[in-house]
Amino acid sequence: MASSLGTTERAHSGRRSERFALGFVLTVAPGALWIILFLLAPSILVIAMAFLSNGDYGSPHLPMTLDAFRRVLGFSVLGWSNGNLKTLWRSLVQSATAAVATILVAYPLAFFIVSRRSYLRPLLLLMVILPSWTNQVIRTYAWMELLAPDTSLSHLAQESGLIAPHMGLFPSDFAIFLGLIYNYLPYMVLPLYAAVEKLDWTIVEVGRDLYASGYRLFWHTVFPQTLPGLLAGIILVAIPAFGDFVVPQLLGGNKFLMLGNLIANQFTSTPDWPYGAALALVMLCFTFAGLFVFRRVARRLGRGEGQIL
Amino acid sequence: MNFSRSLRTYLALHSWPVFLFLYAPLAIIVLFSFNRSPVSVQFTGFSTAWYTSLFHNQDILAALGRSLELGIGSASLGTVLGTLLGYGVYRYRAAGLAWLGLLVYLPIIMPSIVFGISEMIFFTYVHQFTGFLSAGLLTMGVAHVTFQIPYVALVVYSRLVGLDRHLFDAAQDLYANPWKIFFHLVLPVTRPAVVAGFLLAFTLSFDDFVISFFTSGPDSMTLPLYIYGAVAKKGVSPEINAVASLMIGMVLVAAITNLLVSRSKEQAQRPSRPWLRSH
Repeated sequence: MASSLGTTERAHSGRRSERFALGFVLTVAPGALWIILFLLAPSILVIAMAFLSNGDYGSPHLPMTLDAFRRVLGFSVLGWSNGNLKTLWRSLVQSATAAVATILVAYPLAFFIVSRRSYLRPLLLLMVILPSWTNQVIRTYAWMELLAPDTSLSHLAQESGLIAPHMGLFPSDFAIFLGLIYNYLPYMVLPLYAAVEKLDWTIVEVGRDLYASGYRLFWHTVFPQTLPGLLAGIILVAIPAFGDFVVPQLLGGNKFLMLGNLIANQFTSTPDWPYGAALALVMLCFTFAGLFVFRRVARRLGRGEGQIL
Repeated sequence: MNFSRSLRTYLALHSWPVFLFLYAPLAIIVLFSFNRSPVSVQFTGFSTAWYTSLFHNQDILAALGRSLELGIGSASLGTVLGTLLGYGVYRYRAAGLAWLGLLVYLPIIMPSIVFGISEMIFFTYVHQFTGFLSAGLLTMGVAHVTFQIPYVALVVYSRLVGLDRHLFDAAQDLYANPWKIFFHLVLPVTRPAVVAGFLLAFTLSFDDFVISFFTSGPDSMTLPLYIYGAVAKKGVSPEINAVASLMIGMVLVAAITNLLVSRSKEQAQRPSRPWLRSH
């Protein structure tokens, strides 16, 4: 009697898990397979390609070699050059300065929005996000227009001797810097605003009651509470800025390369797929390493901000 | 939170120039789209000539048509796959699939330039070996669906998380089969999220440049590709200013509609909560 009950129960749960599996396959499988087939497989193909030799027209072939990686480090038939290391360095510096600059701009801005009346806050936030709804090419092009040789900004720079007469402010590292801040500022403001909005002000009051003031009050009561938002903002700004392609392409040109347009060059003007694939692998490594480190730090802070990525 | 007067002044002095920084570049584009002079970056007089020539430019009109076709087509498929995925991850997450989360996030995390060249290489080989999928709107669409799926899935998923889990238990207790649950419970309650997901997917596709750049073919130039090509070739030009101004205008219209819709929703809700009508 007891055993027969057991078997019906098992049969029942068996049917349930069967149905469970069927439902899982029908809902999750199409999307997951699509991503596996059209993104995971292609990126594995790219990684494999980095180890192949380059043919005459940029098409890769066997045998396997580490040639592409040697070229990534700057070795070529002409000897060693520091060009690639400079490009990598520029990408790292630009993404770090973009993160720092957007923090400096966004931090007070987040407090400003929160300090306004509650019905104004969504409007102000929308005003911050709105420019990022326009196309990235257009947003970057706007800076070409502002920094061109004949504009007042350029005249100012020419007269103060920062640039030669009749020159524009782009292409330059400075133009890339401005373009990156302009493109990624909203992604710093949003998580910071979320953190500031749910700030627990009673902690600040407690600090004030204990006669803390000014900087100490800020560093010990306000800043720790905004740290998760800050980290989320750094992830959202520094990582895409590091891999950006449009901004350095339009505002830096071939003189001020970042990793993004160095990779693109290997697939457009003078094709060299294995070399481009090896550069892409370098970018992936830095991206995932950055993500890993920042997520680790965010987790250690013990708040749920890891949900963002 | 009561900020002191001096702090409020500081915050305002810091923040209003930031808004200037955000809007001045776009305003300059719109201003110069009405500039009479075709070469100079100085404003020499008012003219709408660039807009007239725009509407006679067959290349731009064709590019706009392709952008819409690509956006609607890819967003439709992306919404179906993304909605199913979002629901599946929510419903069957007990299975504890960390790899699935990672897979869903992959298109978001992947730097777009690496995404783009991966697709390009992949499609080149697929075409070489099978003859299918030559570079064009179809390959662009496949790539766009790939980055749309996770965004739609996330929107639908977060809507489902906000629901009472007991709804599903209740449906099962009433012997609703999975199909019935999906069509009579999941779809109706997630409809706002599915619509929002579709709009998001369309916008992502319409705005995408980098991935489109690497997956497009000779006859599939979309609007962002056209603008990029013209900018790379000619630099600053009044015609591009006019196209860009129109696209900025579209964003403004979308934002104002968004504000009005959310406001009218608030007003529609008000009578049921008269005690909230204080201001």
